[in-house]
Amino acid sequence: MLTYLRKRIISSALPLVVVVVGVFALARMTGNPAALYLPLSATPEMRAEFITRNGLDQPLLVQMGNYFGGVLHLDFGTSLRTGEAAGAMALRAFPATLQLAGVTMALAILLAVVVGSWAALKPNGIIDRIASFFSMAAASIPDFWLAIVGILVFAITLGWVPTSGVETSASWILPIATLLMRPFGALVQVVRGAMVSALSEPYIRLARSKGSGQRRVITHHALRNAAAPALTVAGDLTVGLVNGAVVVETIFGWPGIGKLMIDSILQRDFAVLQACVLLTAIAIFTLNIVIDLLYALLDPRVRPAAAGRRRARRTETPPATTPPADAPTALAGAARP
Amino acid sequence: MMFDERKILLAPARRRPLAALAVLAVGSSLAMTGCAVANSDDAAGGTAGSGSDTLRVVLQQEPPTLEPCESNLTSTGVVDRSTITEPLIERNPTSGELEPKLATTWDSKDDTTWTLKLRTGVTFHDGSTFDATDAKATIDRAVNSKLGCNVEGYVFGDEDLKVKVVDPETLQVTAPHADPILPLRLSFLEVVPSETSTTKKVREPIGTGPYQFEKWDAGQKITLAAYDGYWGDKPAYAKAQYEWRSESSVRAAMITAGEADIATGLSPEDNIGDLGVPYPNNETVALRMHNNKAPFTDIRVREAVNYAIDKESIVKNLYGGRDKVAAQLVPEGVVGHSDSLKPWPYDPEKAKQLVAEAKADGTDTSAEIDMIVRSAQFPKIEELGQVIQEQLTQAGLNVKLKMLETSQHLTYQVRPFAKTEGDLMLMTQHGNQAGDAAFTVDQYMLSNGAQSAFGTPELDALIKKADASTGDDRQAAFEKVFAYQNEKVVQFAHIAHQTGMIGKSKSVNYEPNSSTGDELRLAEVTPAK
Amino acid sequence: MSTEPLHDAGAPHLPPPPAKPGTNRSNSPSMFGLLLRDKFATTGAVILLLVLATAAFGPALMGDLATKQNLMFANKAPFNPDNGWEYLLGSDSLGRSELARLVVATRTTLLVAVPAVAASLVVGSLWGVWAGYHRGIRETASMRIADIIMSFPSLLLAVVVLYVFSPSIANIVLILAITRIPIYLRTARAESAELQSRTFVDAARTFGTRPNAIIGRHVIPIVTPTLLTLATLEFCYVMLAESSLSFLGIGIQPPDISWGLLVAQGRQYLQTAWWLSIFPGVAIVVTAIAANMLAAWLRIATDPAQRWRLALPGRKKLITTIRTKESK
Repeated sequence: MLTYLRKRIISSALPLVVVVVGVFALARMTGNPAALYLPLSATPEMRAEFITRNGLDQPLLVQMGNYFGGVLHLDFGTSLRTGEAAGAMALRAFPATLQLAGVTMALAILLAVVVGSWAALKPNGIIDRIASFFSMAAASIPDFWLAIVGILVFAITLGWVPTSGVETSASWILPIATLLMRPFGALVQVVRGAMVSALSEPYIRLARSKGSGQRRVITHHALRNAAAPALTVAGDLTVGLVNGAVVVETIFGWPGIGKLMIDSILQRDFAVLQACVLLTAIAIFTLNIVIDLLYALLDPRVRPAAAGRRRARRTETPPATTPPADAPTALAGAARP
Repeated sequence: MMFDERKILLAPARRRPLAALAVLAVGSSLAMTGCAVANSDDAAGGTAGSGSDTLRVVLQQEPPTLEPCESNLTSTGVVDRSTITEPLIERNPTSGELEPKLATTWDSKDDTTWTLKLRTGVTFHDGSTFDATDAKATIDRAVNSKLGCNVEGYVFGDEDLKVKVVDPETLQVTAPHADPILPLRLSFLEVVPSETSTTKKVREPIGTGPYQFEKWDAGQKITLAAYDGYWGDKPAYAKAQYEWRSESSVRAAMITAGEADIATGLSPEDNIGDLGVPYPNNETVALRMHNNKAPFTDIRVREAVNYAIDKESIVKNLYGGRDKVAAQLVPEGVVGHSDSLKPWPYDPEKAKQLVAEAKADGTDTSAEIDMIVRSAQFPKIEELGQVIQEQLTQAGLNVKLKMLETSQHLTYQVRPFAKTEGDLMLMTQHGNQAGDAAFTVDQYMLSNGAQSAFGTPELDALIKKADASTGDDRQAAFEKVFAYQNEKVVQFAHIAHQTGMIGKSKSVNYEPNSSTGDELRLAEVTPAK
Repeated sequence: MSTEPLHDAGAPHLPPPPAKPGTNRSNSPSMFGLLLRDKFATTGAVILLLVLATAAFGPALMGDLATKQNLMFANKAPFNPDNGWEYLLGSDSLGRSELARLVVATRTTLLVAVPAVAASLVVGSLWGVWAGYHRGIRETASMRIADIIMSFPSLLLAVVVLYVFSPSIANIVLILAITRIPIYLRTARAESAELQSRTFVDAARTFGTRPNAIIGRHVIPIVTPTLLTLATLEFCYVMLAESSLSFLGIGIQPPDISWGLLVAQGRQYLQTAWWLSIFPGVAIVVTAIAANMLAAWLRIATDPAQRWRLALPGRKKLITTIRTKESK
């Protein structure tokens, strides 16, 4: 497992560089930021001076070289807008989003597993239909609706929670509730589908005939095999949350990195954009590594060692009629969706 | 179907990872909710309503910086100007007159060299006394240095000022050439101590104003405290707090829910009800037509555009009658505004006729016109664009509406203008903060003005003359400039002078005025009885 | 064969009994019949057909009505019969009929959402299945590329494309398709990788079947259902993503309208003219749910091992537990 971890971390380094280089180049294709930062009455000389002062007139490769040179000294450039260090700005905003995304996803997964499994016990039954309907609705509702209606109802009319901001613990409620809807809705669908397939496998019948209770059947046998697609989708949704809790951050005034990134794109604040993307890319790569590890933990067939064994097997002489003892044989209960 | 007993038998040993995962998930989520959000210093001691001696303001965005020399940027100035820092001379937004602030008198014999007498007994928030060296340092730093302050480009251009300290209470400022409105320009400079760095911009300001800077929780709020050593009247509130929400309906919600006392940048759609107070905000919206391509090469087509737009209906139906139909680029209260100038009437028949005349004369009136509009520049701008497009199409023109985001829109706003497929017509919103038409006219109407599509030598001459005049002559000269523009040049189709709206809770008293959006003077806010 | 004692060797061949509707010769229902038996799926299919018809014919029928401005009639509430049938769903801030705008917007919405989802589904799934099948370096490289695409802010891509090229429906579809590929890629790969050790795949390989044939005949049918579920979820997400882009001014450009653009435009009026944002949003939700119901049915109908659920008569057929199955 550790070798795998090490290899993954190393193999993630190049893509990270590719992302940063890509963002660097693309950002500079969006035009000259001078107009945004200088007053409209600035003279052409002042504009030229602004560009030179920020090194934007040099060839792309030189700029990139300077940037990466700075990165090695942990200097991620300065914000055109505020004059602060871009790295500091990104690092300051990131934890807020992480907390929001983390709690939301944890809740979404928990709830989705419960609801999805319950629905899967009787496919096409009444619970299943209701769960399907509401989860699809939850996944489809535009988030700003929920946010604004939530504020209207719960903050203004009922006065139970503050409208926005990060002051109290109560101010977490509306943002999380809003952000929860889409991951919850999507995950219920996926978990339910996977569980329906898993529950119709024969080994479930075997487990039941051995006297396992319903709960054990679900959690130990069915869920393990339903985990694979659910985990992928959960991971992608988390990534989506980290990158895209923008609307919630905007409406509730949550000082997160999503809004910082969008603002820096619209305001052509290159250094901040690059710092934000670097940070979120690292988080995403890490998340994907964690998910792959979880897969391997839950399902031995997906482990890279298994792949290695299979490759070795293929280069041997054609297999005998009985497969070798240690080769992963067909374990029943593949997550057939 | 085959199954493997091994998997079932092995299951018990594999129990741990799944359970461990569940515990980890639940545990970490609990831990995270337990902590405060990163950066908020006290989760429990929320200041929403922490004592009635804190004035809570909610802005549209976080100020990028509070550097005083950038305070002509609206988002910086709304916090700094006349609250934390003060200028030497201040313009009264209602009367338009210049009033003494840190300078008590100012005088000039030749409009080139000005002598200012400074106020005594003033201290900065760091305790040091204010005198002429600080004033000189302020001007040098903002105008003459390499800092690249925003106010430099906005008010002074590339030219430097010569500043001399005559004695601790007297300052002499010399402009490069005769400048009757130099005191007005000086009103944009917020005074800072002479020790302030001249090589770096500061984020946290030190000034002489009634409130001093206390704390900036980046991303969340800015806190100010009343300054005990203030030379003037103490403000009513002991503390002030700024927050920001980009969504206007949330700002309105904070007022309704009692979480804030004043909110900027609202409109009636935010459901603010009678807690919303409209005020004229100095902004004028107009269409700027470029005459380098057909059909705007023909002045009759440009006139037709003016006749084709039903400005009264727009002001009444889109903006609830709060805005005012415009005949020129500056609203009332700005030196040079002409009361006698009538807006173009709505005459669709005349518009069609003018277009037909132009067509008969050989102008290609069916050439495409690209109307460039900035999305979300002000409330209902998209609707405005569509209404205008419709009305111009009725008049027989071929108008294509393009909504662009800010950065792209700016490439069409200032010289050198970006290229368009068709003829360019830009929707521009111009705010004259300074109160003198020179700031508008030099930009928008000179032949080589930064935001001017074209001009004529005659208009240039009129403008130069007006720039150099003073007093009543100045007023008359600028009125002539605006009238000439409307008759002979027709670069613009003015639409309306706009109004802004603030939200104000029942517990405070405050009268907004035309400069409220640019400088919110907290000292003018008092508790309601 | 001897198991047919009733067959008289000399009797003429009787024609097969006339086919009952919904059945074929072998007496198991056709796809259409299966669809009709599942009321939810039928409703979903009907709704989708309605949407398609609106997209096809709507602009021709209501095109003019959708652009007719009337400033005095702005922001009128819906469901007020006094205002006439055009204003059944209310009017927008320029007095245009909301109903007409919804109808006309359908075409653009589908023109953006369907190709975007289809493109990312096909490309992502095929790629993922291929990567999962071959494992090794191909899998690693594909996964890293997926990581790269996922980390890339899609908004930046949208702004750049808008800046360098002009905004057009094709460009928006391209952006939306590219940024959504990773989710199919990763899911398909995960499932495909898991299937590698299944006996039937092993058997096929032993028989010498080419990898592409194995992928096509064995792997793809198994991963398709999950991917279809994902696709219906993505369909909705793509419409909402297009809404955010339009809100920022870099999505659908007026005078084109889409449901997403209507939702975005109605955002500022949520408290005073709620119908401007709610009705297009409801349209999005309803279409997504309909697609989802149909996809759920399709998953069962196209899986030979599960099809029986739909073919059984009676209501109780659909509610199955292991116990019920055993008692049969």
